[in-house]
Amino acid sequence: MSLLEIDQLKVTFDTRYGQVTALDSVSLAMDAGETLAVVGESGCGKSITALSVMGLIPQPPGKIAGGAIRLAGEDLTRASEARLRAMRGAEVAMIFQEPMTSLNPVFTVGDQIAEAILLHQDVPRDRAWKDAVALLERVGIPAAAARAQDYPHQLSGGMRQRVMIAMAVSCRPRVLIADEPTTALDVTVQAQIFDLLNEIQRDFGAAILLITHDMGAVSEMADRVAVMYAGRVIETGTADSVLDAPQHPYTRGLIGCIPSLDTAGDGLAEIPGVVPPLHLLGAGCAFAERCLHVRDTCRDTKPRLTEKAGHHVACFGAQEGWL
Amino acid sequence: MGSGFLLRRIGYGLLLMLGVVVLNFLLIRLAPGDPAVVIAGEMGGATEEMLASIREEYGLNEPLLVQLGIYIGNVLRGDLGESFFFNQPVAHLIALRIGPTILLVVTAQLLSIFLGVLLGVLAARRPNGVMSAFVSVFATIGYAVPVFWTGIMLIILFASVLPVFPVEGMTSVRLRDAAWYVQWLDVAHHLVLPAFTLAIIYLAQYARLSRASMLEVLGSDYIRTARAKGARERTVLFRHALRNAALPILTVAGLQFGNLISGALLVETVFNWPGMGRLAFDSILRRDYPTIMGVLFFASAMVVIANILTDWSYRLADPRLRGRT
Repeated sequence: MSLLEIDQLKVTFDTRYGQVTALDSVSLAMDAGETLAVVGESGCGKSITALSVMGLIPQPPGKIAGGAIRLAGEDLTRASEARLRAMRGAEVAMIFQEPMTSLNPVFTVGDQIAEAILLHQDVPRDRAWKDAVALLERVGIPAAAARAQDYPHQLSGGMRQRVMIAMAVSCRPRVLIADEPTTALDVTVQAQIFDLLNEIQRDFGAAILLITHDMGAVSEMADRVAVMYAGRVIETGTADSVLDAPQHPYTRGLIGCIPSLDTAGDGLAEIPGVVPPLHLLGAGCAFAERCLHVRDTCRDTKPRLTEKAGHHVACFGAQEGWL
Repeated sequence: MGSGFLLRRIGYGLLLMLGVVVLNFLLIRLAPGDPAVVIAGEMGGATEEMLASIREEYGLNEPLLVQLGIYIGNVLRGDLGESFFFNQPVAHLIALRIGPTILLVVTAQLLSIFLGVLLGVLAARRPNGVMSAFVSVFATIGYAVPVFWTGIMLIILFASVLPVFPVEGMTSVRLRDAAWYVQWLDVAHHLVLPAFTLAIIYLAQYARLSRASMLEVLGSDYIRTARAKGARERTVLFRHALRNAALPILTVAGLQFGNLISGALLVETVFNWPGMGRLAFDSILRRDYPTIMGVLFFASAMVVIANILTDWSYRLADPRLRGRT
């Protein structure tokens, strides 16, 4: 049994175009101490997957229409609100994309970390504060005792993301969800945050669900990777296998988009087109309209994940070898 | 939060008060009518010699700017002049009445903020729910209905239909010798209807404003963070969201304080509340210039003080403002 198991999860949203399926038969699994990267463009369902695990899908308009999310065997989609509250922050914690806006501007950062501790642990207030300072020190914030008294606006973006990480690991969660944790940060700071996440994982043994659109981050962090497109997982396997031998044309495109020094001057590679709006998805492969290798089958039938080259891919071309 | 900020604000406030004194003085002198005639009228009939001696006595023969200079000099010494009508020092008249007015205005302000914000927060919890619809309708009615009408309706309701609250005055004569706490309770009992009447307009506005402000804040990233920590919905609403939503409410509350004081004039008249509003009303009808100017002086002082307190409470609510001046 895996630590976290997302099994055939289906999430729908009511929109003015009618009901759309934001996640369709998404299955992911991760073990303790492992890092799983979920990759894809904006709107592919990465963040919805993360929010589903946290039980934070706004309902309505959102709805978990099928499947299960099992944390150590317990199905969170059937859990009570009280149980979810006890789970959030304690067993599964989350780091968000925007450190600038994810901290409450009117409380000191020490207060906000201490609050997370007090919500889940039966400790006195001064003890929680001391723990908060120790956590700030642990995530590499100099003069932690003084910084704990600071308000978010007094800290840089990188420092705020460190604060978010300190808050997220304050109760030693078993699963840490990091939703594009470095998108809003400088490149040099990004590397520091990845290093910190790796260290934290070593120390705390948490499984990390890393949500990103950055293939560089994947190679830096991930043990395994799942590529998502328009609400479905289209390719998944170990990070090495997927990065070295990507099978799906979309995954190849994503990897091709990483600029390197060798390609300097050739212009940036891109995947033509955009992710189709979810309410316009047809019966076939969602990537068909953007795919250079598209055939009639692709437009009529949805490909399923099958094994190919040591990992799983949902693409007729890859499966049948005509890509 | 340095004391420099507060000192600077008080300095501005004093300058503002000086401007108010000058403007009040000039505006009232520009109004048609001769104060000497009014004063003489109160004495019963005016001959030309009598008017001349009154003008001499009250300094009305001097050029306007000299009169202004004398008046400002007097105000700076704490002398607001003598009422034409009551023949008492204006400062004394106001001292007797400013207490009830402050009591009424501050109670109404606190009542409207507390109830308004509570309604607004409850409405924001479910933007499409029953409570939300109620707040919208109530806000529209509360804002549209004139305060004297609300007052009169409440008087009718509580005088004849449901006589549980006194509809007139501030104290009961029969309790004059009762223990202090009985007298306090008696004043509080008398305060219910006037304070509620005055509060209702602003209550409706605050409810609407807090609903909008809360809805905006509830969509922000740090609210999602609070939920992701495992905080209860109540904690999310009242601890994490409300403090951020409070700024626009504070702004409006500060701005509305002046309107609240002018609203108090009507409410005091309707409920016969012995405050400055009644004094202003009486002295305007009688062209009692020194009293009008005294009342205006104190009313603007209250507004200036309220604004200083508002600025100061911003800084309490929002740490981002503390480093600035």
